[in-house]
Amino acid sequence: MSGIIIFGLLFALLLTGMPISIALGLTVLAFLALVSSLSLDTISIVSQKLFTGLDNFAIMAIPFFVLSGTFLATGGAARRIIRFATTLVGWMHGGLAMAAVLSCAFFAAISGSSPATVVAIGSIMLPAMLQQGYPKNFSVGVIATSGGLGILIPPSIVMVIYGVSTSESIGRLFIAGIVPGIVMALALLLVTYIVACIHKFPTLPRASLREVWQAFRDAAWGLALVVVVIGGIYGGLFTPTEAAAVSAVYAFIVAVFVYKELPWKQVPKALLDAANMSAMLLYIITNAILFSFLLTTENIPQELAQWIISQGLSPWMFLLFVNILLFFAGDFMEPSSIILILAPLFLPVALQLGIDPIHLGIIMTINMELGMITPPVGLNLYVASGLAKMGLTDVTKAAAPWILVVTAVLLLVTYVPQISLWLPNLLYGTPK
Amino acid sequence: MFNRALDRLEEGLVASFMAAATLVIFLAVLHRYSLGVSWLWPYTRAISFTWAQELCIYLFIWMAKFGAAYGVRTGIHVGVDVLVRKLPARKQRFFVQFSLAAGAFFTFVVANLGIRFVLFVHDAGQVSPDLEMPMWIVYLAVPLGSSLMCYRFLQVLVQYRRTGALPSHSYGAVE
Repeated sequence: MSGIIIFGLLFALLLTGMPISIALGLTVLAFLALVSSLSLDTISIVSQKLFTGLDNFAIMAIPFFVLSGTFLATGGAARRIIRFATTLVGWMHGGLAMAAVLSCAFFAAISGSSPATVVAIGSIMLPAMLQQGYPKNFSVGVIATSGGLGILIPPSIVMVIYGVSTSESIGRLFIAGIVPGIVMALALLLVTYIVACIHKFPTLPRASLREVWQAFRDAAWGLALVVVVIGGIYGGLFTPTEAAAVSAVYAFIVAVFVYKELPWKQVPKALLDAANMSAMLLYIITNAILFSFLLTTENIPQELAQWIISQGLSPWMFLLFVNILLFFAGDFMEPSSIILILAPLFLPVALQLGIDPIHLGIIMTINMELGMITPPVGLNLYVASGLAKMGLTDVTKAAAPWILVVTAVLLLVTYVPQISLWLPNLLYGTPK
Repeated sequence: MFNRALDRLEEGLVASFMAAATLVIFLAVLHRYSLGVSWLWPYTRAISFTWAQELCIYLFIWMAKFGAAYGVRTGIHVGVDVLVRKLPARKQRFFVQFSLAAGAFFTFVVANLGIRFVLFVHDAGQVSPDLEMPMWIVYLAVPLGSSLMCYRFLQVLVQYRRTGALPSHSYGAVE
């Protein structure tokens, strides 16, 4: 019963258009003050939770990854990665579009956020594609969708949050994202190629091996971050948070001293931008932790788990249910709050049904990717519409066909757990 | 004049916390690996970075609380406004003002709870595990940040009533 009141309250507050973080916080306050019989002392737990909720070193990977993403995007790494990708696939049908998808995949491997990937690659690739005569709809759809790779290919802010809220190993989640990320990137490349063949999109002149090598050497400084992050975490050199901090410093050095594209004067601005973005994420996270604390004290995860299990759902039906619920949640809310609220609700059921928590994490991550390109709250769509100066409705139409592609990969990854689990089990050994 | 100074202070604090936290963790990692280098040993063994994680967390919490206030000013806190946008202009104005007022109300309540909590921790005399810093100073981030955020919500509300304009964050502004 209290579950219905809590979620009803949250939904009503969200519909007024107030910031998601405020809606989450107000729901908790209102429920504690009006409905529950708890004393005022319990309410003061609220202020404690607002602090202790963040008192966790793993969460601090998020601001570091945001900072390193800012340095990479403004410091010339994105441009060099695009040039390298273009020399690799530019000669194919729809060469520039293929290069855009590939650049997003490369950039995703050094950055942990989807909107950042859309901005970094889209701000360069969108004007270039439009200039070459690609239809606006197609170009925006490709960029907004491929940008979603940012959270699937490690490092990933969304996986950090899943790891924190379920106490799963973040390193293992990162490794588990590699194969699904490659599958998703290949699927996007394939569909782009087919569409390009049908519409006879232009090709670019073939680059010589020498040019490919030079472009690679130039981009290598940025791409080396893959080694720092994944190698460092897997090799046990750093914790994920340390890897994120090291990559922020590395990205800073590359931007300021190697590529020399970020003048010293701009550094405070970059810091402020990164702080603005991460503070927003951390504020949502704090309030989502508060909200999920309320759910736990009201015993809702356990009740829900019992109810679902009493329905006698088989694992595949449960996963389908998870996907559908996440699809709708992803339409309304922002990824970190969804993960923090829903992952603790799903996990007990998944464990009972014998579903690997890492697998569930990858499924949730791909769902978040889907949520970012579906209206009304698709962050990637907002970003892309800003870059293309297109209305949100038009951008939504542009992304619609791509939703099908991502859904197809989602179902594949959902029902073939080996795609996510093979690599981490190979490297870390099978759990238990 | 007061607002101008407050803006600069807020931006300066937020950016410095970010830079400081990054530097602290980077140095701690560097230090850990330099311990393995024998000729550096006499210099590095005297230094201890056990407090680095704790300091980083506190710096980021302060960054998050003040950054959230800065975020109100830059309009980065997004909500689900699709339905509201479909309403006629007058009702839309009502909901925008309602949301801003709700933000001010929530941050006001949190600031008050925060003050009570800080006083409670002050009396208990709790110190942090590694830095041995009085915890009430650390927890001060909640009431201070939340009060500033409340002020920012009211500021945006007044500005909206006067000019009808809301701050909006543009992601494309990176380059």
